[in-house]
Amino acid sequence: MKKFAYELFLLGLIGVVFAIAAILDPRFLSKNVQLELSSEIWELGLLTLGMTLVIITAGIDLSVGSAMGLCSVSLGLCMHANLPTWLCALACLVTGLTAGALNGSLVAFMKVHPLLVTLATYGMYRGFAEGLQSATTNAPVDASEGIKSLAAGTFPLVPLLFAALTVWTAILLGRTAAGRGLYAIGHNEEAARFSGIPIAKLKFWIYTYTGLLAGLAAISYSARRSATAEAGMVIELDVISAVVIGGTSIEGGRGRIAGTLLGVLLIHETRQFVDWYWQRSELTLIVIGTLLILAVLGHRFLFAQNPKTR
Amino acid sequence: MNRTPDPIITIESVSKSYGGVEALSEICVDILPGEVHGLCGENGAGKSTLIKCLTGVIPPETGKITVDGTPLRHGDIHAAELAGIAVIYQESTAFLDLDLVDNLFVGREIKKFGWLDRRAMEKRALAVMQRLDFTLDLHTPLREFSIAQRQMVEMARACLRDCRLLIMDEPTASLSSRETKTLLGLVTQLRAAGVSVLYVSHRLEEIFQLCDRVTVFRDGKLVATTPIEQLNRDQLIGQMVGREVDVLTRHKEHTERTDKIRAKITGLCSRGRFSKISFEVRSGEILGIGGLVGAGRSELARAIFGVDRYDDGEIQIDGITLKKGSIQSAIEAGIAMVPEDRQHQGLILPMSVSENLSLTILAELTKYRLLHHDREAERVQSLMQHLAVKAANAKMEAASLSGGNQQKVVLGKWLATKPKLLILDEPTRGVDVAAKAEIHRLIRDLTEAGMATLIMTSDLPELITLSDRIEVMCEGEIAGQLEGGTATEEQVMRLAFPRGEAQRT
Repeated sequence: MKKFAYELFLLGLIGVVFAIAAILDPRFLSKNVQLELSSEIWELGLLTLGMTLVIITAGIDLSVGSAMGLCSVSLGLCMHANLPTWLCALACLVTGLTAGALNGSLVAFMKVHPLLVTLATYGMYRGFAEGLQSATTNAPVDASEGIKSLAAGTFPLVPLLFAALTVWTAILLGRTAAGRGLYAIGHNEEAARFSGIPIAKLKFWIYTYTGLLAGLAAISYSARRSATAEAGMVIELDVISAVVIGGTSIEGGRGRIAGTLLGVLLIHETRQFVDWYWQRSELTLIVIGTLLILAVLGHRFLFAQNPKTR
Repeated sequence: MNRTPDPIITIESVSKSYGGVEALSEICVDILPGEVHGLCGENGAGKSTLIKCLTGVIPPETGKITVDGTPLRHGDIHAAELAGIAVIYQESTAFLDLDLVDNLFVGREIKKFGWLDRRAMEKRALAVMQRLDFTLDLHTPLREFSIAQRQMVEMARACLRDCRLLIMDEPTASLSSRETKTLLGLVTQLRAAGVSVLYVSHRLEEIFQLCDRVTVFRDGKLVATTPIEQLNRDQLIGQMVGREVDVLTRHKEHTERTDKIRAKITGLCSRGRFSKISFEVRSGEILGIGGLVGAGRSELARAIFGVDRYDDGEIQIDGITLKKGSIQSAIEAGIAMVPEDRQHQGLILPMSVSENLSLTILAELTKYRLLHHDREAERVQSLMQHLAVKAANAKMEAASLSGGNQQKVVLGKWLATKPKLLILDEPTRGVDVAAKAEIHRLIRDLTEAGMATLIMTSDLPELITLSDRIEVMCEGEIAGQLEGGTATEEQVMRLAFPRGEAQRT
């Protein structure tokens, strides 16, 4: 049980949020309200899967939100041109893949610090998205019926895809040579290199994977609302917060998908409740910030006696 | 010495345990003014724990430590510093991007009207460097110094402070023999100035040369404190290991050389590092590379293993030419390397022993693209048994192992790949006698089984007894060849020193 002490701590925190909600307004816990508010969790969840891998290698990807915007615009263009649904979705995913691959190449092969690379592309991708939109449709494009049914039809493809990718990512981390390599890179890149771990290859793929997830998140977002350059605005901060709250060390080497999932749930429920009950977005910012600090301190407190996790 | 002077430091029945394992139990030692007090014991015997108690890094659980009759506040680093206890650690703790002067005065800068007084600091730094007879540039960032040079800076830093007791933890582990000589001279000088030195070393020659008395620990317990005149080498080793160990004796008939050339290096050049290096290593042969620190041995090892690129030349393993600067292709070709820096290059300290051991053979442990955990556990178990790694279990963090056991894990992770050529760069630095003997035995056994071994070492007895042949490097070039076993330390050193410098030392 000790291995999952931190995950239990997070469950406790989520319990506290629900308890507060139950006292203030029990309607928040009803199935209908939860379902209504749940739509946004998928985008956050998808992006955290890639971000967990990236942060485990002591990297960071600030550009996920902007990449999502760019993907959403390319999806909008395709829908505007009345292309078939599968082609629209494919174009969106390829855009994400390309954006991620550019980050990955710069980090892995050119060996530029990920913070610098993704700070640059954070601006660039959003700029491309806005420029492209104003040069063409000049307005958000409403989602086509096909795209809508992909995300919220009778067959909930996005949630199912998220579940499948979660399992896949967890297995990749915990049960494969690649996953072991990612942890090794995060702890000590030099020693990992001396052990023959293919560092550049692994790094390239995790940034590319994160880009692909941004494409998926863009489909989910556009289906719910519309295809726009605004998609994924400031979501990167929630994504990074969720991953770190989930117990992934920002210094690399430590983290699990289970923790990330709980982090996503905690951030999501807290945000939704604060938004829904008080309807003040500035309060949300303060609450999320407090949560982040609480989680980090909680982690330190839980493992202070244990020299295993310094 | 007719009457015994009052000790400056008294350690009375100090105990400390980690998670139920006693690291120190009821230790009593006193240190006299102006004595060099040796501290010996195998890795894990409790030497480091005692040092941490003395310097206030950790508080002892029971017992007390007094300095000049005043009890020392336990677990208080500043109190220990104020009492005049200074320490030079095994691994340098320098600030690599600051220059020598800044490093000397870090935390105790000389100030004038609140501003740093650079000039005064430089003056004092220069004085200390001159007193110690170190020739290092004051304005070079420490990153550009070798590990040995960084260690010299640490010593100078300790000397800048008025210390009563200087603790030296394996100070010569990474020094060349010339630098070691300088250091030993410095210790004698300190003693003359009335400073006491607690000297921890695995190099018994140094203990005998320097120390007045020697204390031996075994498994956290005090074995004895004995004046050095009353001990000989075998007795000291006996105290440490509790049995007689046959260290560094050469197996007569172990050289069953075959003619199969495993590794062939032709005309290897790397600008500013080494040039025109050519040699062959046969299956079943140990080739030693000797030379001073900075002669280019580690650089050569790194180039062969594909860590660094080289400008010219060729490396062949079993007749197949290697790709330049690619560790992966070197590993595929069957090269393994135990690197110089165990803690940063050899191991991933926060990961478990098991994860470290399996890191090089992950592909082999994969089935249907998934890691086979049972098979991993099996392989790790058999490796740990084969190497006699002392660890409570394979899940333990590698950082918690003693130096010797850590090195066995590094060796193990590479033996797991069944290499054709094993490169060892300073394989027994900071490793105790018993573990060293075990590592030597392993190297021999594996080489006899058909591996080719390349060993770079500053430890002359090790170089001579372990190698079948020796190539000595000097300033990046091969200065000459010697036969292993029959070569003398003088012969090696004569080749190792640049012409014209041999007379100075």
